[in-house]
Amino acid sequence: MTPAIEVRGLCRSFRQRGGLLGQDRTVVAVDDVSFTLAGGGVLGVVGESGCGKSTLARIILGLLPPTAGEVLVEGRRLAAMDRRARARLIQPVFQDPFASLNPRRRIRDIVAMPLVAQGDIPARQVADRAAEMLARVGLSAEQAERYPAQLSGGQRQRVAIARALVLRPRIVICDEPTSALDVSVQAQILNLLAELRRELNLTYLFISHNLAVVEHVATEVAVMYLGRIVERATADALFRAPQHPYTKALLASVLTPEPGLGVPDVGLGETLPDPANIPPACRFHPRCPVAEPRCATTTPHAIMTAGGAAECLLLEGAGKP
Amino acid sequence: MSTSDRGAPPARSPNPPRQSPPLLEIEELRVTFGRTAAVRGASFSLEKGETHCVVGESGCGKSVTALAVMGLLARGARREAARLEFAGQDLRALSERQLSALRGDRMAMIFQEPMTSLNPAYTVGSQMAEVFTRHRGGSRRAALDRAADLLARVGITAPGMRLGQFPHQLSGGLRQRVMIAMALMCDPELLIADEPTTALDVTVQAQILRLLAELQRDLGLGILLITHDLGIVARIADRVSVMYAGEVVESAPTAALFAAPSHPYTRGLLACVPVPGKVKREEALGSIPGMVPRIPPGFTGCAFRDRCDHAAPECAGAVPRQQAGAHEVLCRLPPGWAA
Repeated sequence: MTPAIEVRGLCRSFRQRGGLLGQDRTVVAVDDVSFTLAGGGVLGVVGESGCGKSTLARIILGLLPPTAGEVLVEGRRLAAMDRRARARLIQPVFQDPFASLNPRRRIRDIVAMPLVAQGDIPARQVADRAAEMLARVGLSAEQAERYPAQLSGGQRQRVAIARALVLRPRIVICDEPTSALDVSVQAQILNLLAELRRELNLTYLFISHNLAVVEHVATEVAVMYLGRIVERATADALFRAPQHPYTKALLASVLTPEPGLGVPDVGLGETLPDPANIPPACRFHPRCPVAEPRCATTTPHAIMTAGGAAECLLLEGAGKP
Repeated sequence: MSTSDRGAPPARSPNPPRQSPPLLEIEELRVTFGRTAAVRGASFSLEKGETHCVVGESGCGKSVTALAVMGLLARGARREAARLEFAGQDLRALSERQLSALRGDRMAMIFQEPMTSLNPAYTVGSQMAEVFTRHRGGSRRAALDRAADLLARVGITAPGMRLGQFPHQLSGGLRQRVMIAMALMCDPELLIADEPTTALDVTVQAQILRLLAELQRDLGLGILLITHDLGIVARIADRVSVMYAGEVVESAPTAALFAAPSHPYTRGLLACVPVPGKVKREEALGSIPGMVPRIPPGFTGCAFRDRCDHAAPECAGAVPRQQAGAHEVLCRLPPGWAA
């Protein structure tokens, strides 16, 4: 079966101006990323800020050309598609719906826009389909007449979801879709996204810094560190038995609402990852609590694990952690 | 780790003598902004060396409560309280000048976004030194030495170099550490932290929270921590107050609150949080329908009743505050209804 998304050797770097006296720097945001995601799955992408997860999302959406590598969506090359064809296949839901909704347009017009942009859908059908999708995400006909500023954060995120789904795409890229919301509203939106996926047989790429949320929604998880996927596994395997020391540290940092456990010492030290200055060999070694001398000199390759693969020298042969 | 040059206060005893007044005591605090009642009769107290978390969603009045304590409310806000005391001192009786002598000195505050409280035009060192010399006098040199000590104390390596840097040259996690170090410049007794880790990565969040807990243990700080995150509450609070629409709807020692959450809102909030290993993947999360209402002055009854599964006609009338030991709930439901 053709995977919903296939990504091969994806790279993306940016030039960062050094300012008046500083030197220009090259920021490597995505570094040789490859994966496939089967239709109907949810791939959770996690990692700290600056790990490249949002850049990856923008490349897969076709909003940003990769420096190298390619993206195939349902077996077709993304780069060869025109915008309209791409919009029918793949759609985004971003973190802050307020920034991505035109404040001067009524909700019904915002949701109808992707249909109008297709250019060949009769006006009557446009209105009907937009209204139907708005009802499906739980917004009333009366709310459809309002402007974004008149809705709450959760309602605006419903608008963003309706707009993403109105063309009946196959894939939705959710980039921190609930990060700006209160927990009670976050739960409503996560439940809605789960229902819609089942009903419409959607595939999600779900980016979040909240591992508890990812654990709840994802079927597979990719852990990114400084532009690379350092561990990839089924959600069950990854949360039950994380293999990469970075994955372990990330999971240890999650503060579940269980009293008496205190705040864990994740052992990552003070240095923070800098995508403009990626360490040689294993890029995680300066922060790794279990690094060995060889980690600073030898580049790790992906090692098969129980539920996926991880890039860590300690998983190779003897020195198993 | 270096210790402060003024000497760390003795570690707190397990049973602080009860005759001294609480570090912070708030009774029936009310704050209104025009037609909106933001805080409606909130009461709680904080002991020295204790961490008290105020938890709730946006618009519940938790930040306004903190600002009201610090005397930092915006113009046009009205503050009333039956009692508002810091270490036995009535904060309402202080002039703006006396309050400002207290702020940054005996009580300090850190905010979610350090960039809003750090001045981008001055180096870290000069801002930290200014806090100290303003409140305690002394030479700039001595103040800078103390700043360097504190930067080291909050886990910043090469503090000498950091003192000469501007805020924009630091990462978010480092800025938050600088904010904490700056708040500690005058050895405060009370630290109010409003969502101190919300803008940070989980890894850095864990480091900052460990740091706060460690500082509290070493310095005997009282911490009032405001957060929306029940995970943080569970891990660091001694006592929790859950706020909803300007009221403390439930207050209890942390273990008791999580063992037997009793207000329908607290229970709803807890059900919304996905917990790895506890909530099954295909199962829907619990959720609370609707959203936090805006409450006008003079509102009566339970503010949660429109979203509550257990609402009854009498919820529109006066709501009893029920108490079982140290566990307080503002709800008509009998204690133990949820068991």
